[in-house]
Amino acid sequence: MRRTRGSRSAARRWRGHLYVLPALAVYLAFAVLPALRTAYLSLFDWDGVTLGRWVGLANYREVVVDPVLRRAVLNSLALVGFFSVLPVVLGLVATGLLAGHRRRGMAGYRFVLLLPQVVPLVAVGVTWRWLYGEDGLVNQALRAVGLAGVGRAWLGDFDAALVAVGLVGAWVSSGLCLMLLLSGVGRIDPSLYEAARLDGAGPVREFVSVTLPQLRGELAVALTVTTVAALAGFDLVYVTTNGGPGEQTTVPGLLIYRLAFSEGRVGLASALGVVLGCLVLALVAAVNRLSGAGR
Amino acid sequence: MADARRPCRARGALVAGAALLAWALAACQALTPGSAIEAPGPRAAPSATAVPDGDVTLRLEFTDAPPMVDALVAAFEARHPRVTVEPRYKTFSDYVRSLGLTMTSDSAPDLAQYAVGMGELAAAGHVLDLAGYRAAYGWDASVPPVSLDQLTAGLTSGATGGDALFGMPAGLSMTGVYVNRELAARAGIDGPPATLGEFEEQLAAARAAGLTPLAVGALDAGGLHLWAALLNQTVRVDDYRDWVDGVAGATIETPGALAATERLVAWGRRGFVDDAANGTSQVDSTARFARGDGVFLLNGNWAAGQLADVLGDDLGFFPMPGEHAAGPTVASGFGFAFAVSSRTEHPAAAGAFLDFLASPEANVIIAEHGFLPGDPDAVPPPTGVFADIAEGHRRAVADDGITAFPDFAAPAMLDALRSGVQKLLADRVAAADFLASTQEVWRAAHPG
Repeated sequence: MRRTRGSRSAARRWRGHLYVLPALAVYLAFAVLPALRTAYLSLFDWDGVTLGRWVGLANYREVVVDPVLRRAVLNSLALVGFFSVLPVVLGLVATGLLAGHRRRGMAGYRFVLLLPQVVPLVAVGVTWRWLYGEDGLVNQALRAVGLAGVGRAWLGDFDAALVAVGLVGAWVSSGLCLMLLLSGVGRIDPSLYEAARLDGAGPVREFVSVTLPQLRGELAVALTVTTVAALAGFDLVYVTTNGGPGEQTTVPGLLIYRLAFSEGRVGLASALGVVLGCLVLALVAAVNRLSGAGR
Repeated sequence: MADARRPCRARGALVAGAALLAWALAACQALTPGSAIEAPGPRAAPSATAVPDGDVTLRLEFTDAPPMVDALVAAFEARHPRVTVEPRYKTFSDYVRSLGLTMTSDSAPDLAQYAVGMGELAAAGHVLDLAGYRAAYGWDASVPPVSLDQLTAGLTSGATGGDALFGMPAGLSMTGVYVNRELAARAGIDGPPATLGEFEEQLAAARAAGLTPLAVGALDAGGLHLWAALLNQTVRVDDYRDWVDGVAGATIETPGALAATERLVAWGRRGFVDDAANGTSQVDSTARFARGDGVFLLNGNWAAGQLADVLGDDLGFFPMPGEHAAGPTVASGFGFAFAVSSRTEHPAAAGAFLDFLASPEANVIIAEHGFLPGDPDAVPPPTGVFADIAEGHRRAVADDGITAFPDFAAPAMLDALRSGVQKLLADRVAAADFLASTQEVWRAAHPG
């Protein structure tokens, strides 16, 4: 009797796995297997058509040695500052100012803030290319306030291009970060603020001791999403500068595309993709560890 | 303690497993990506010019000038009612990226627009050698031979023993310098320059007058057009052609190329080139020139229609002048050409289509759509800036001075030159280093 019940519950447990199977199959077929295949292809010298040649880790050696590829990785790390750190800091400041206040018409604000996130990145890129152009709105504004000398074709300037692209990214991510943080603040138990106030905490103390720790989960999500966008990004750079001037704004995503599709070096492109993937995972793991979200 | 050891053992097992997997995969030939494709079918076209009797359908893939292709197809079908041509348009990036796969697949189109990469496909036998047709149809009489010589991929024909031929142009292109005559007059410039030195004086005069001297769209391909235009004046044309064709031992690290590259850097330094060039695309730089910003513009004949609509009689055109007034006219240009797949079942019908492209009727259609006709005598004499362009092209053809665009030298060359010229214009790289890295890109594509 007891035995039968035991085997029945085991069967039930297996039936549980059965329910996961469709999702698991899709995940394996469309996420895990392609990733493994990419890793496998990275060990070949292959043009995408004719027979590939096994080269072992030679492609990875080239990723490390080639100055252009290294440069691209550094650029994307710099972009993390713009896509991720800057918007989160801005979001925190705004949240600190808004937290604890009754807000009217928040839905309207949210809509406006999230708008950059809703517009396709290609459209965002084209629009900003015009704004940054020689006769664009940015230069017109500078001229209007008597700073014509500062004006330039921003995306074509060796010193300004990466910052210009980064600021577009900051513009895109800021809304998302603020949205996440604001909704997180809404979840915080008001009694915590009350208690802090009773203990004589000022607004800054309140922010550091109550708001910030309570927002750890939201911060982890915001940092993760924007870091991935910065590191794996392709569309924004492709549309605005195509990696130029020189290699000032070249990012790994752009090089992977070029290597695989226009230069026919699928192996090297895959190796760069694997390295980029590992880099993203490492950074995301670090973010999660710091925020304690994994616990 | 036990806890710390477990991940370690697991990692060891993982590494061993991965190594085993890698060994197994390397050993297993069947898992190697790609396939060793042998090009089937004939590699050379027959030398007869007969058009088949039966109903034939030709599939054609292309990426440029859809209205012109439609017009040419319609005119061809009217003349050969039993041959149907099915054009299939792809966007430029799709076309170039998929060209290798398309032409090596069993469903390769009969006709395909010639593009970067076609030379390698031809060398591998996937493109039909048309040298037999060139002789049989007498194409040299109706197309400038220099434009056919660009389509040889540097190979010798197995059929005729002479140069191979892997495409037939339907319309030609050429780059050069547009001038806004009204602005030029304001800067005291009264006519096209006879030499490069004179052109530099005019650029300096334009700058002194507070105008933008030379507009270039170096955000994309405009920079390499300027570099090529200067190369044409100081590099031996045959050396350059060998380099673009990937002939073994060819190099761009020559004194002539160095002089041209240093001139480009000097133009950037002296403010001859638009300060905003690196941040301006070709389309945008053309639009700004049309709005009256810029005395000169470096671009191709494809921009003439758009510019003439706005600037009218103020617009002029001349090929980049040489170092000496008596020297030959050398300009970059290429044919909008079609190649034939070696998998085609209808080489005779494809040959008839290509020959139609050289007919007077086709030349008129080509000229109407803004391309340079292969045979200028077959079309009504052009006027305005179009006359300037036709005259410049006639001179370059007469001097055997049409050279292919430098990005044809290797698949990776377009991106390398775009970013390289941006660095030259911003004075961020030494001319010699730029040439060395350019040659490195070339060597990667032509290791032999």
